[in-house]
Amino acid sequence: MKTAQTIYQEGSHRWVVIARDPSKPNCVIDTNEYLISREGDNLLTDPGGSEIFPAVFAALSTIVDPMAIRYLFASHQDPDIISSLGLWLECNPEIRCYVSRLWSSFIPHFGGDENSLAAIPDEGMSMPLGSGQIEYVPAHFLHSSGNFHLYDPDARILFSGDVGAALMPPEEDELFVRDFDKHIRHAEGFHRRWMGSTEAKLDWCERASRMKIDMLCPQHGSIYQGDDVMRFINWFAELPVGLSTFRHRR
Amino acid sequence: MSNKPTHKTSSGELAGFVRLNEGIKGVVLIAFQINIMALNAILLAHRAGEVALGFGVISKELRSLSVELTGLMQELSNDAYLAVNLISDLLRQERRYRLLKKATDLVADPSPALRDVMVRREEEFSLITYRVRDVRLRLLDRLEDARKLCQFGTAISRSAKIEAAYGREYGRALAEVSQEFDQKIQNILPSIEALCTGMQRR
Ligand SMILES: [Fe+2]
Ligand SMILES: [Fe+2]
Repeated sequence: MKTAQTIYQEGSHRWVVIARDPSKPNCVIDTNEYLISREGDNLLTDPGGSEIFPAVFAALSTIVDPMAIRYLFASHQDPDIISSLGLWLECNPEIRCYVSRLWSSFIPHFGGDENSLAAIPDEGMSMPLGSGQIEYVPAHFLHSSGNFHLYDPDARILFSGDVGAALMPPEEDELFVRDFDKHIRHAEGFHRRWMGSTEAKLDWCERASRMKIDMLCPQHGSIYQGDDVMRFINWFAELPVGLSTFRHRR
Repeated sequence: MSNKPTHKTSSGELAGFVRLNEGIKGVVLIAFQINIMALNAILLAHRAGEVALGFGVISKELRSLSVELTGLMQELSNDAYLAVNLISDLLRQERRYRLLKKATDLVADPSPALRDVMVRREEEFSLITYRVRDVRLRLLDRLEDARKLCQFGTAISRSAKIEAAYGREYGRALAEVSQEFDQKIQNILPSIEALCTGMQRR
């Protein structure tokens, strides 16, 4: 069973992470889902695959009524991100899922239609949530060609999808990064292979380094906070990625 | 819900209907062969003239039987196609139902809205289950018609053998044709029987 843990709270504004599911099948990659609540508005980031839907739903129910979730955000089109969409719509047909315009006609293969999907333009956009705003920040080609991160400027949290993801062994699977050097070893292979474009990577690093980020929250693995955020951005900027590294590794 | 099939039965059922379609193809092929054979038999009877009048009538009967059988098989095939579609949908719904049910079971105190979702799911589910059942019953009726048609075919192919005996110098040729008719019809019957039992077993 997954558990829900609050990682940020300021009045009614909060971020909750749904993580670490020891009961999930081994063949399914573990994912982090984040619930952003503000004055009764609820948004769930990368709600996950259909097989883990029951665990996510149940963990959420300890925090909010999952039927009251109005918005979903899919950083990209992968099955571990959004294949549960049909089930969410089953519970609440009014749900709107925000996703890159590239995928708005692909994702309905998982469920939903033009009414349930809201297309984010390539340049990104901001959206009201409660009394505040959240921003959909372009992160194209990292790894998906239509890819966004979600930034909450008031909470200073960046949800970074697969960027920052690490495939952790169970014994080191902490919610927050404690020892950056030790942690980043589990992120290296993933970033080398999944992130195909050096140009996209450097562009993202440059933009991210100018943002005020207290927590960088990936979809897999541990959350970076404080100085580890900048440490990650610098590490990523230096990391060789893409086809050249892939060829050498063959 | 008592009439709610499990995933296993639905996928078994799906395989059953897919097999049915394969069986139908086999019957249609034989019916086509009977049709051609009957056409040749009609021509042969025509050449034989007076002595094969009865044989000619029987060949025409066999020919229309093969046409009727082909039509029946086409209808069966349409129904099997419909059933395969319905059951595929059922399988998809079953998966959703299973996941939603699991979610509801894990939630400590499911809200009335969530319970409503489950009730709606179950209703939709049984609706499709009923439709599958209707299609199956219709299929069985049509298979029964096909079986009767083949039994009739067996009887007239026997008559063809008797008629062949009056064929004088054409006797041998007519006897060969009637023998082939009999064999073809005998080939179809077990296929139809197999289709019937395949459907009834579910
Ligand atoms: Fe991905
Ligand atoms: Fe992922």
